Amino acid sequence: MDNVIISCVDINKKFKTKTVLEDVSFEIQRGEFLSLLGPSGCGKTTILRMLIGIEKPSSGRIIKDGEDITDTAPKDRNIGIVFQNYSLFPNMDVYHNISYALQSKKDENGRKRSQEEIDRKVKGIIETVGLEEHVYKRPKQLSVGQQQRVAIARTLVLNPDIILFDEPMSALDAEIKVVLRQQLKEIQKQLKITMVYVTHDQEEAFALSDRIMVLNDLRIAQLDTPYNLYHHPADAFVKRFVVDHLDLKVKSIEESIKEEKA
Amino acid sequence: MRERMTRHDRLLRHEVLRIISIGCILLFAILPLLTLAFNVTGKDWTFIAKDRKFWAAIKNSLTYTGAAAVITTALALVSAYLLETSSLRKKNLYVIALTLGMLVPTISVGLGLRVLFGANGFLDLLFGLELEVRGMPGLIMGAVMTSFPATFLILYDALHYEDKGPYDAASIMGIGRLSTFFRLTIPYLRIALISAFFACFTLIFSDYGIPMEIAGKVKTLPMYLYDQFMSSFQYGRGSIAGFVLLIPAVISFVFDLIFKDQSSEKQNRLIPSSAGFNRATVLVLVLLCVLLFMPQLAFISLSFTKAFPNDLGFTFEHIANIFSNTHGVGLTAYIFNSLKLAFLTAIVGTCFAYLLGYFSVRKSGRLAKVVDLLALSTIAIPGLVLGIGYIFLFKGTNGTFYGTILILVVVNTFHFLGSPYLLAKNCLSKINSDYEVIGETLGISRGKIIRNVLIPNSVSTLVEMFSYFFLNSMITISAVAFLCTYDNQPLSILITTYEKNSNYEMQSVISLIILFLNVVARVVFTAITTLVNRKNNQSAEGGIGFTRMEFDFLTYLEKNGKGVYSQRKLADDLTITLSNATRLVKETADHDYINILPDGEIEISEKGLKALEPYRVRKAIILAAGFGQRLAPVTLDTPKPLVKVNGVRILDTLLDALYAKGIKNITIVRGYKKEQFDQLLEKYPTIRFIDNPEFNLANNISSLIHAIDLIDRCYICEADLYITNPDIINKYEYRTNYLGAKVAETDDWCFSKRNGYVDDYQMGGTDCYQAFGISYWNGEDSERLKSDLRKVYAMRGGKENLWEQVPLRIMKKNYKLEIRKCHKSDIIEIDNFIELIAVDPSYAKYPGAEEYGGRS
Repeated sequence: MDNVIISCVDINKKFKTKTVLEDVSFEIQRGEFLSLLGPSGCGKTTILRMLIGIEKPSSGRIIKDGEDITDTAPKDRNIGIVFQNYSLFPNMDVYHNISYALQSKKDENGRKRSQEEIDRKVKGIIETVGLEEHVYKRPKQLSVGQQQRVAIARTLVLNPDIILFDEPMSALDAEIKVVLRQQLKEIQKQLKITMVYVTHDQEEAFALSDRIMVLNDLRIAQLDTPYNLYHHPADAFVKRFVVDHLDLKVKSIEESIKEEKA
Repeated sequence: MRERMTRHDRLLRHEVLRIISIGCILLFAILPLLTLAFNVTGKDWTFIAKDRKFWAAIKNSLTYTGAAAVITTALALVSAYLLETSSLRKKNLYVIALTLGMLVPTISVGLGLRVLFGANGFLDLLFGLELEVRGMPGLIMGAVMTSFPATFLILYDALHYEDKGPYDAASIMGIGRLSTFFRLTIPYLRIALISAFFACFTLIFSDYGIPMEIAGKVKTLPMYLYDQFMSSFQYGRGSIAGFVLLIPAVISFVFDLIFKDQSSEKQNRLIPSSAGFNRATVLVLVLLCVLLFMPQLAFISLSFTKAFPNDLGFTFEHIANIFSNTHGVGLTAYIFNSLKLAFLTAIVGTCFAYLLGYFSVRKSGRLAKVVDLLALSTIAIPGLVLGIGYIFLFKGTNGTFYGTILILVVVNTFHFLGSPYLLAKNCLSKINSDYEVIGETLGISRGKIIRNVLIPNSVSTLVEMFSYFFLNSMITISAVAFLCTYDNQPLSILITTYEKNSNYEMQSVISLIILFLNVVARVVFTAITTLVNRKNNQSAEGGIGFTRMEFDFLTYLEKNGKGVYSQRKLADDLTITLSNATRLVKETADHDYINILPDGEIEISEKGLKALEPYRVRKAIILAAGFGQRLAPVTLDTPKPLVKVNGVRILDTLLDALYAKGIKNITIVRGYKKEQFDQLLEKYPTIRFIDNPEFNLANNISSLIHAIDLIDRCYICEADLYITNPDIINKYEYRTNYLGAKVAETDDWCFSKRNGYVDDYQMGGTDCYQAFGISYWNGEDSERLKSDLRKVYAMRGGKENLWEQVPLRIMKKNYKLEIRKCHKSDIIEIDNFIELIAVDPSYAKYPGAEEYGGRS
């Protein structure tokens, strides 16, 4: 039980007349990499937005470490988020992108942080993600991989318990994606931090996750390890959306390789 | 629970602000119109319906407005297109010249036309030529002149953001300029054109300044309105006329509302330019400037005329008297009034418009749409109508609001709100929408995000908005005329005062003062914008860390190794000043980029080397597929790069130079007699080969396409350069560059230079840089080059290009290529057999030499 960091209980979400989620319950394990996978409009981003606190469930509770955070403000949840395209502040260099939150937010005792404390923390984080050479660069001057690291560092600096990712790679080339995935996986291994990752890309979910939550039609179709999803799909949708898709991909690759040989 | 409350409170506070700003628009822009409507009675309607004067005014207004709007839109389109597609320098200057008319009150255009053409006008006095300018001709001329600047700006802006892709395609397919104009430009601009036409129409239709001076007996609608209010005191009838005045504006507004969003997917820059039409363009534009500004010029010249029209002698008297003028509260006081009003309006207006933009774009919900619609609707209200509405609505607040400068600031703010609001909205919608959410999760407030992220990213837009409010407040007459008092009236109103006692000279002097102040303001605003843009660009492209000087210094140290370097020696070797040399050593030492040893020796440090790493040349791609037919008969047996000159293969000179600088990742694209290249492996084991089987079907672009994935921080070299100075190859390169040697004259490919960058690339030229086929591509430009090469190659006829024509000509707008200077003798070009014999006489005896002109 100790290992559960978040549990969502009977979450419902309606936007005016449209229901997006119906009686959704699930738990997130401490330190795991969980992907929310599903076709667009299945509610995966809504779950993310509720976890971060910019959207509220119509009913149901969100419990974090035994504490009800359903109504807690985003800044007090200790959850970080990385957006699509990373949304770095373009007019600030790497250092200030990371330190901005520390300069604005008071510490646990409600005191303003000292400049030395901020500097120490920021430099530590910069080292952790390996950006020492780029401290004074603006986001425009960074490669996509470096931008991703800054975006993660920006959330890390507040010691979050969980980092959420909102389809951070959906706009990128296939080639870069592979590199970024690796990088992300390494950071997670190193920090052992809980990560929740929203994607509509089956491959991506399989490459990254400890567990995958497949969403469809207002509810969770299956929440399981990649192995089980593939070998024991819970229903026809999961089979079609996950298993068949991956099979098809493998098959088409095999065929094109064969053609080459012939 | 407490948390929840504060969050709730904060949300509420934001909504309160939003509701207050909606209330402001309702109160200061919409309510005045409604007040007007209350004046209208049934009798007024029946009177107006039968009033011949009213219908004549409508007919007159429609006729002259229609004609003028068509002419203006056509002129604006042609000039915007010419300017945008020319490769003229300092285009901003042309824009400023073409829009000079914006800086003077429209009334002076009417006056100017009379001074030029009318009875006792310049033409009459000088040539006895008197034209009946009052009435339709004058109205149309005046309207074109005053509405041109705004219309031009709309179209110029629309053209500026046109997608350049189709133009690239067209130019590669060899489609002519006229044809692209009609088949690409006009269809693309369709919506912008109609929108510009409407805007122009609205502007003219509601203008009062021109007709006042030049309409003669041809009364227009605004004049009818003015008469009803000011002479007949028939407020109801005047109000009806006011509402009719709104109609074109409303149509224009609705049109924009429906279509604007469809065309707003703006691409970044633009149609390719061509130098061929520059002269014609300059001619047309200058002529247009002169014609458009002629009446104002004539009018302003009266400032220096003794007593028009009786004594045309030159004098400074009027100007000299400016500060001693005691008319009313004194001229200087009016100048001060004007500046104060313009400043306050600009500050209040810019803040308010930016806030509205923020509320409509960066916050969601129904309220956002309400803000948007209301803010946009202010565009449709003519100043004249707004001013009269204010009289009725605010008369009761005399002394606290009415009759103070505050009401002038407010009326101007709402009169001019539309355009700056659009600027703000456009700018804010382009800024990533996730910042506020990120702020929330990081505990950074919305206010802080506005202050630290949004505003720093919209500085140039803010300056533009400020400038718009300022300049317009300086020249406006319409609304302010009804609301200012004896004490606080601005300069522009003074023109109408002097009008009453026909004091041409003073009217002219006042126009001149306004023009002068506005030109100064305009220059200041432009300078600020340029500065801001430059700063942004610098931090965007520079940033890789080192200045050029630091780079030169560190690479110099790296190359020459540990040693004693006096300041003098450094200054000489690096061609910098002594003080710079001193500073360089100190600053790089402070950053630990260099080590200064106890015995005074200097060397580059580990950290310095590491910092240079981004600049290190990673590899070289050598294009060696061609046949080299001009070197026949030698090349019948051997590919040109492998031909020996004085016992050394031509290509070895390049490979040796590369190896000497540690660049061993070398790829040779080969084609003609490719197997012969294998012999190179013996001496240079690290080179790799890529075969281009198409070498004899396509131009050298096909060779580079075969190696395209390798392009990254690399040299791209031709294979037939006989290099005598291996130091033209560097271990590090600062930026993307192309090697060139300064020559007085050449018939080879050469660059012309502008600001240190390649400007034009052509065959033959004087006082230019002869191009040598060695170029370096940094990371960023490599990506650009790859994508452009692929694009061009995929187009019809694309394979016939030389690869370097892609960055140097076809897509040159995408690149800023430095010219890296070398000496002409650093490379010997062996272009034909005769030149070969000149370098290596032994070839005179080559079998078949005589046939190819190689007699010994």
